[in-house]
Amino acid sequence: MATEVRTMTAGNMWKVLVQPGDAVTEGQTLFIMEVMKMEVAHESPAAGTVTAVHVAEGAEGLDADQLVVEIG
Amino acid sequence: MTIYAQPRFLPGGDRYMLIEFGNEMNLELNFMAQGLAGAIRENKVGGVIETAPCFASMLVHYEPDDISFADLQTEMQRLIGSLGPSDDIELPSRLFYFPTVYCDPWTKAAIDDYTAKINPEKEYDPDFVARLNGLSGAEQLVRVHSGTEYWVASLGFWPGLPFMMALDPRCVITAPKYNPPRTWTPQGTVGMGGASTAIYPVATPGGYQIFARIPVPIWDPKQRFDVFADSICLFRPGDRVKFVPVSVAEFEEIERQVADGSYTYNVVEYQKFSVAQYKHWVSRLDRTKRF
Amino acid sequence: MIEVIKPGLETSVQDWPGRIGFWNQGFPPSGPMDSWSFRLANVLVGNAPGAAGLECQYLGPTLRFDADAVIAVTGADMAPKLDGVAVPLWESVAVRAGQTLALGPAKLGTRAYIAFSGGIASEPWLGSRSTFHQAGVGGIGGSALKAGHQIPLGAGTGVAGRRVKPEARPPIHGDKRWDVEVCAGPNDDWIDAAGQERFLSADWKLSGKSNRTGFRLEGPEWTFAEKAYNKGPEHGSLPSNIIDHGYPLGAINLAGQTPIILVSDGPSMGGFINPYTVPQAAFWKLGQSRPGDIYHFRLVSVERAQAMAREMKALCTEASII
Repeated sequence: MATEVRTMTAGNMWKVLVQPGDAVTEGQTLFIMEVMKMEVAHESPAAGTVTAVHVAEGAEGLDADQLVVEIG
Repeated sequence: MTIYAQPRFLPGGDRYMLIEFGNEMNLELNFMAQGLAGAIRENKVGGVIETAPCFASMLVHYEPDDISFADLQTEMQRLIGSLGPSDDIELPSRLFYFPTVYCDPWTKAAIDDYTAKINPEKEYDPDFVARLNGLSGAEQLVRVHSGTEYWVASLGFWPGLPFMMALDPRCVITAPKYNPPRTWTPQGTVGMGGASTAIYPVATPGGYQIFARIPVPIWDPKQRFDVFADSICLFRPGDRVKFVPVSVAEFEEIERQVADGSYTYNVVEYQKFSVAQYKHWVSRLDRTKRF
Repeated sequence: MIEVIKPGLETSVQDWPGRIGFWNQGFPPSGPMDSWSFRLANVLVGNAPGAAGLECQYLGPTLRFDADAVIAVTGADMAPKLDGVAVPLWESVAVRAGQTLALGPAKLGTRAYIAFSGGIASEPWLGSRSTFHQAGVGGIGGSALKAGHQIPLGAGTGVAGRRVKPEARPPIHGDKRWDVEVCAGPNDDWIDAAGQERFLSADWKLSGKSNRTGFRLEGPEWTFAEKAYNKGPEHGSLPSNIIDHGYPLGAINLAGQTPIILVSDGPSMGGFINPYTVPQAAFWKLGQSRPGDIYHFRLVSVERAQAMAREMKALCTEASII
């Protein structure tokens, strides 16, 4: 069953730390947004394998609730 | 470079007025700014919320519902006229002695970090400032910088951060600012930008050339020491500072005393600063001689 | 008392007009960036317009109430929910002891405001409850909200079911373009005629490197008048360097070639010129915009800017409540 990891807030994509095919553990940081010069880390809610990454590092002006990583 | 015959009154949005007294670093202009701030307080000018004197200017924060920009300008012109010549100004002025390590390891670490990450061309600040001012090297920089009292002209940029001017004209140094600025500066750093010396009350980004550090807090939210009884900022405009060169070992001993609360600030509180006497003393100095 | 379950991105106690009277010691006023929404929230719950409340930025908090309260949420739409049930914005709402209020990410606008009847009763600091967290000043223990913080409330006489007339609310939108009023000065005479024209006609993009200390703008180069070059060395070496002077709140500070709008937690003085200043009445636009949005600046007179502030003050009263 696919798990979707979405942006928690509007902001910029500072670092994308995984790519499709990577195995991830629960709690592992998948990507870090930058908002108001603060880092907002997004962690995986489950263990699994990354099946898709939809946003590139450096992307600016993202909305909240935008799909970034899918884990299968 | 001038002291304006008439100050300029400039609007800053809907609620601020910037009064410019001149466009040079001249203690005279700061005496005028501080004198005007005092006159506004004494006269309780209606509609003025607060003032912030700076080197050659003063910012006035006013309430437009109570006074218009035009009427405020008229009132300021009247007060400035009534102040008289700055020579007559006398201001109560405390004098602080601070133990200071010059060319210290902590500012060196900050400079090294900047060189590694932001600008590899940056020359080590004490050497850079010495060279730009025609001094023989960092050692002469220390003699010259520490050889004068500094006048606290204003506070700002960060809460409690003092901007100071050398009172002894033989010790005036200038220094350009970092471009781009550093992202951090150790707390207690002593630095220079333009012709002013500042002390960083906490670790903040900054653009001044840095070359010394003091172990003594100038900002104390817990008000652990007597000198902070009235405020969490140590300084008021019109205070003076003397930097006393000490060793790293002495610095660390004082740091311990600060940490355990046993440190006693070295502050002289019986003096009045007389502009007339200051000018008389300056007129008799041989300005061609540096320490 | 309210317990902070989740703090949100950066949520803080603010009051209006903030910490006033300490500019000459370097304290910024802080306070809410969108004082229009903030003041109306207070009026809804029966508080004085400036009473202490919460400013929520980008991602709102989750709060648990241990006593009955009357609250109102205004400003950005963070889809507030009380025990999972949607709560309307711009309306006073009754909360019962034990309920949990959750705000999510801002869908429209950027900053939401929560007012509590009786106001937040945290320890005032130099005359204000506003938070300047970078210096550890005000708020709860000098910081933005953290999980586990307890927020004390005053006794209030608020009534649920009051609404702000739609026409009295700030028109927060998602167009990503804002016309922002500016007044010329203090240092507009440092910019040459072409530079002034360029500033007022260009699109300025709000950079992601922006927060309550300063809103950084990206746009065309600035060009300078003679006085920016013909000045004593103590001003500094860049054309936009000046002998350190006081900064008005809202000043568009020109750091080299980078304009930074000095907002609620910004520096009180420094060594760069301020060619234009955003007046108080336009701050709500700054507060509700996002990085990537475009600002187009519109010149207004000081008198017009003062009238706008008076009009906004008149809107933030009982006259706007139904």
